[in-house]
Amino acid sequence: MNDVEIIEKTKELLGDKVLEITSPSPRRIFLKVDPKDLIPAVEVLKNGLGYAYVATISGLDSGENFEIIYHFAKPSSQLNLRTLIPKTHPHVESICAVIPGAILYERELQDMFGLIVDRIPDPRRLVLPDDWPEGSYPLRKDWKYERPPEKIPGGKS
Amino acid sequence: MLKQVVRWSRKKSPWILHLNSGACNACDIEVVAALTPRFDVERFGVLLKATPRHADVIISTGPVTRQIKDRIIRIYEQTPNPKFVIAVGACAMSGCVYRGAYNIMGGLDQVIPVNIYVPGCPARPDAILDGVVKLLGTL
Repeated sequence: MNDVEIIEKTKELLGDKVLEITSPSPRRIFLKVDPKDLIPAVEVLKNGLGYAYVATISGLDSGENFEIIYHFAKPSSQLNLRTLIPKTHPHVESICAVIPGAILYERELQDMFGLIVDRIPDPRRLVLPDDWPEGSYPLRKDWKYERPPEKIPGGKS
Repeated sequence: MLKQVVRWSRKKSPWILHLNSGACNACDIEVVAALTPRFDVERFGVLLKATPRHADVIISTGPVTRQIKDRIIRIYEQTPNPKFVIAVGACAMSGCVYRGAYNIMGGLDQVIPVNIYVPGCPARPDAILDGVVKLLGTL
């Protein structure tokens, strides 16, 4: 299946749930959906188009919104499923019901962006240290970090 | 007399613990390379131990991450006295390129007292050996 055929089949299977679908370069497809259509879209990608492997999930802080990009891969091409989440209501549905292995990426997303992944099977902290303060998310653009003052053993000379 | 015997035995058998506190693995490879027969550390009585409870010298590589901070203090407290710490590599000395990152505390001396610093990125096996011998010279 080449890029044009994949785009045609995606449009056919998803219908009006597709907000935008483009192919900016060969063997790469960008698909944009609404957050509420996320689970059906992932189901269609997995069962209808054969994108069963989620390479990673990345987050993007673009000021007003968070953009979440699900990187699907199969040997012939890659598909990036994008969805926009407003910062005022940072909730996204978990895709673990369809792809169980995505849980690690979703937990990392919760840690680093402070998104709330609804219906995630295991919401524990994954990458941040145990003594990390609540409500501080390192990958948000408005997050500032103050380095604690360093001790100089023996004092300055 | 007894003091001299204790000092002699301490000098002749510094058992080491190799500890990675968040290093990129380059210094660890060099530490392991320094333990090979080519450099023959056993002529100084150096023996690698698997637990801090048997060790005299902690050879630590890498910057101290926030996650390992409490663990490293526990390892230091488990080591019997007298204990010595060698910081191997630029990261263990100051944090190096990781300095100022949100999950890094800085060099090893931010968390536990350090006796000897071995510079290098990564430090050569000869340099690590030299650090150990210099430490033995201070005893």
